[in-house]
Amino acid sequence: MKAKKLKRIFGSMLVSVLSLSLLAGCGGSGEEAKKDESGAIIIKFGIHVANPKDQEPVTYKIVEAFNKANEGKYKVEFEAADTETHSKNMKLKAEDGTLPQIFWIEGSEATEYGEAGVLMDLTEFLDENADVKKALGGMEKAFKYDNGQYGLPYQCNVQGIFYNKELFDKAGVKYPTDDTTYEEFINMVKKLKESGVTPLAIGSKNSAYAMWEFNEFLARYGWEDNIENILSGKDNFNNKELAACFEKFQGMKDAKAFPENMATIEYFEAKQLFDEGSAAMFGTGQWDCAEFDENIGDKIGFWWGPKFTDTKAEQNVAMKVPSAPIGVSATVADNEDLKKGVYEFLKFYYGEEAAKLSYEGSIFPATSYEGVSAAESQYAMNEMLKSLESGWASPAAAPDLTVPSAVQEVLYDGIFGVLQGTYEPSEALDKMDAAVANSQ
Amino acid sequence: MINKKKKTGMYVLMALITALVVFPFIWMLILSFKSNSEILSNPLSLPKAINFDNYKHALEVLDFPQLYGNTILVCVISLFIELVITFLSSFVISRMEFKNEKLRKLIYGFLIMGLSISPFILLFPVYKINVFFGLRGKWALILPYVSTSISFNTLLLVGYLKALPSEIDEAAIIDGCNLWDLMTKIILPMTKPVIATIVIFNVLYMWNEFPFASVMLREASDYTLAMGASFFKGTYTVDYGGIVASSVMIIIPELIFYGFFQKNIVEGMTAGAVKG
Amino acid sequence: MHWLSKKRYKIGLLVPTLLVYSVYIVLPIVIAIYYSFTKYSGIGKPRFTGLKNYVRLFQDELFWSSFKNTMVMFILAFVLLLTLSFLIALLLNHKLKAVDFSKAMIFSPAIIAPIIVGIIWVYILDPNIGVINNVLDAIGADSLKQTWIGGEKLSPYSIAIIYFWQQLGYLVTIFIAGLKMIPGDVLEAVKIDGANAWQEIRYVTIPMMRTTISTVAVLIITGVFKIFEIVQQTTGGGPNHLSETLVTYSYAQTFSSSDYGYGMSLATVTFVISLIITAIYTTATRERKE
Repeated sequence: MKAKKLKRIFGSMLVSVLSLSLLAGCGGSGEEAKKDESGAIIIKFGIHVANPKDQEPVTYKIVEAFNKANEGKYKVEFEAADTETHSKNMKLKAEDGTLPQIFWIEGSEATEYGEAGVLMDLTEFLDENADVKKALGGMEKAFKYDNGQYGLPYQCNVQGIFYNKELFDKAGVKYPTDDTTYEEFINMVKKLKESGVTPLAIGSKNSAYAMWEFNEFLARYGWEDNIENILSGKDNFNNKELAACFEKFQGMKDAKAFPENMATIEYFEAKQLFDEGSAAMFGTGQWDCAEFDENIGDKIGFWWGPKFTDTKAEQNVAMKVPSAPIGVSATVADNEDLKKGVYEFLKFYYGEEAAKLSYEGSIFPATSYEGVSAAESQYAMNEMLKSLESGWASPAAAPDLTVPSAVQEVLYDGIFGVLQGTYEPSEALDKMDAAVANSQ
Repeated sequence: MINKKKKTGMYVLMALITALVVFPFIWMLILSFKSNSEILSNPLSLPKAINFDNYKHALEVLDFPQLYGNTILVCVISLFIELVITFLSSFVISRMEFKNEKLRKLIYGFLIMGLSISPFILLFPVYKINVFFGLRGKWALILPYVSTSISFNTLLLVGYLKALPSEIDEAAIIDGCNLWDLMTKIILPMTKPVIATIVIFNVLYMWNEFPFASVMLREASDYTLAMGASFFKGTYTVDYGGIVASSVMIIIPELIFYGFFQKNIVEGMTAGAVKG
Repeated sequence: MHWLSKKRYKIGLLVPTLLVYSVYIVLPIVIAIYYSFTKYSGIGKPRFTGLKNYVRLFQDELFWSSFKNTMVMFILAFVLLLTLSFLIALLLNHKLKAVDFSKAMIFSPAIIAPIIVGIIWVYILDPNIGVINNVLDAIGADSLKQTWIGGEKLSPYSIAIIYFWQQLGYLVTIFIAGLKMIPGDVLEAVKIDGANAWQEIRYVTIPMMRTTISTVAVLIITGVFKIFEIVQQTTGGGPNHLSETLVTYSYAQTFSSSDYGYGMSLATVTFVISLIITAIYTTATRERKE
């Protein structure tokens, strides 16, 4: 008897709590604008690093400059957490309606946020600020969906391969050019290897941070033209073009282009190999420019990567692409004061002064303004600018950011599986096709 | 003198085991005196010079008094709640009479089950439950910490309490004790060793707990110690020097706490407690 | 005891624990199980898909390789930890000088932040720059060099060793607390009866420590199925998920691939496996006792 009663009490308790908690999911109404002591409206900016001052110095400076210019009116405050935590937190906050007014969104999750209806459409903002739209020059299109503009690029990423001229000279290898082919690249790798250095530093323990240079490979095998068909099921990843592309990855493995312990090191250790001059090349983006200026100085060179001869796809491809976006919480639309403040901040963030601050910190802003450029001592950045002078078109978005996150993970796995010899090229591509099927 | 030989053997064995286990810890101390690029490029070498830059930097970046304050506050409150409630429930499970023995086993098994759950599964639901109760900031950590300790505490307490002879209860009741007196004045003092073990484990768990803390805490003023390391690892930059130095500053107090508790409390009562 | 065991007393004393536990542990498990039947990215609305995630799971090679890795770790850790932590506890239970220092040091691995455990062990086990292979090189035993981590075979074994190293101090502490509970007069009595050290352990210590031993065993079993950070920090589950455990694989699916539904189905299966093994262990040992 006792057991029954206890069970009953317990059961009813559980049921009530369960139903209450399900109800709790539907909270979150329009919000009040919070103000600080000086009466300034507080705008929260959710950022993907725990310590923005050290870890995202450019954004930190832009925010400081904005706060200074708008003293007593608006104040942007960071809501900071490391990337992994930040991504979790934003999902949770999207559910209970407490998202910060502005926040950084993981690139592969942008579509999911756009569809979930938790973001504010920024079409109006762009219409009202034609100069911002002009400065973005189309970069914003990566986050334009059928039903609106959900997000603007946080920055702009220029990705490719940096190389150390000194090590090339020592090995007696010519610097790569815009027209260097894959075959020449493999020879280059072999000679560099003979000279006793690691040809291309890669750490694959966290593969999302090791694949920037391979976006160019994918793009030069016609990724942009085919991806829509593949995702909609009309085509497969395991097609002729991508099979040829993945065979090139295998060729790099066979030429021993990478550190032997690539599986146990991470991006940071790989970068250190390049910094200290024991690796000749390293694939990354502009965010590392400042570090290279410090360690390698004027010996640095930049290259988009090899051209391929066994494909019909366009080979004159640059890789200047929008980075992950920042989005604005949908609740901002409910409060005129707050909305004004957010617009004010976005105007500043995509303005000329912020662009200057960006270049000073060796970061490419999403905008381009005439006459805003890098200083002479910013060697790495100037090398990138030189490569950009060719005027080649870039894809609308980096290939790895055009697929949903589940497929993206398998893409990374596939590339690194081939690079490490755990997968054959076609095996890796089949797994990607399976991931597409699962994500339906 | 066989005994002496045996003792020497024991010392050698103890020293060997300690050295093997502690090697990585010592290494960590050494790393904390090396610059970040030294750590990355030549992790095995001795530092070129002992420098305290990492410590200075860690002290600049992290507000240690506040981190310690928050951690200790959360620890003390959670510990108090969990010890009270799990002592009471374990007392029922281990020493009180059930007409239906199956019910006792059922409740016990039900409470132990939580040991099998990985904390990350709880993250999202627990966040939502906290939002529902309006719990925010560091206060939102207390109930998750209490609840994740329940299974462990029950396992240890029930195991221990069962081992105490039932004559104790009978004698106490004959002496006119009521239930409350029996629990608090007679049984509780006898459970000190196991409670001390529970305290050690739970304090150290909360001290290092990251997943819940990272999801529940928003404001830097609420941060606990475990959040410290994330201040040194950005998206494209990592400062191992800062991570190692701040960890050393977090670990040393833990070791002192462990040593103190082990020596004075667990050992202090030894077998005498049960006999008496 | 009988007249104190009133129903309302019992309920009153049990309710606080049951309440907190139900709301913060059981309810989340129920929610997780619910999500395991859906397609859910973590944002927006979950879509009910029935058993689809479970069907996919049993066909997923990576699930099986994670399962295999977890079992390897389980067997290795169970055998090593249970025996060695018991023996070390016996050793440290003697009155030796500096024994407290030694205990604290053996405990120290348990509290080193996971990211540092990662850094340190990678530099011990790394096939190229790691201590072990370099030492083997130096003493001319090149043939013994192995890809301890990062390869396709040895990673789970290496991770089991790291787990062993990390947990040793915890379990030794529990064993020592258990040893302290054995009444001194019992031990004196057997000594007078002329028992040697082995007989003392075999016929007195082990039987009297039965509860402690099964406590430790349950902690090891459930602990192995929660190994997470060590893997994350040493191999990241790689190369290509080959060193993934059940927990890290479900974490990767849940958060890196934003497949919350599938991740939760993996988590549910992991939880059930862990429960089953714990149940098997407790039933098996109980029968032996009787």
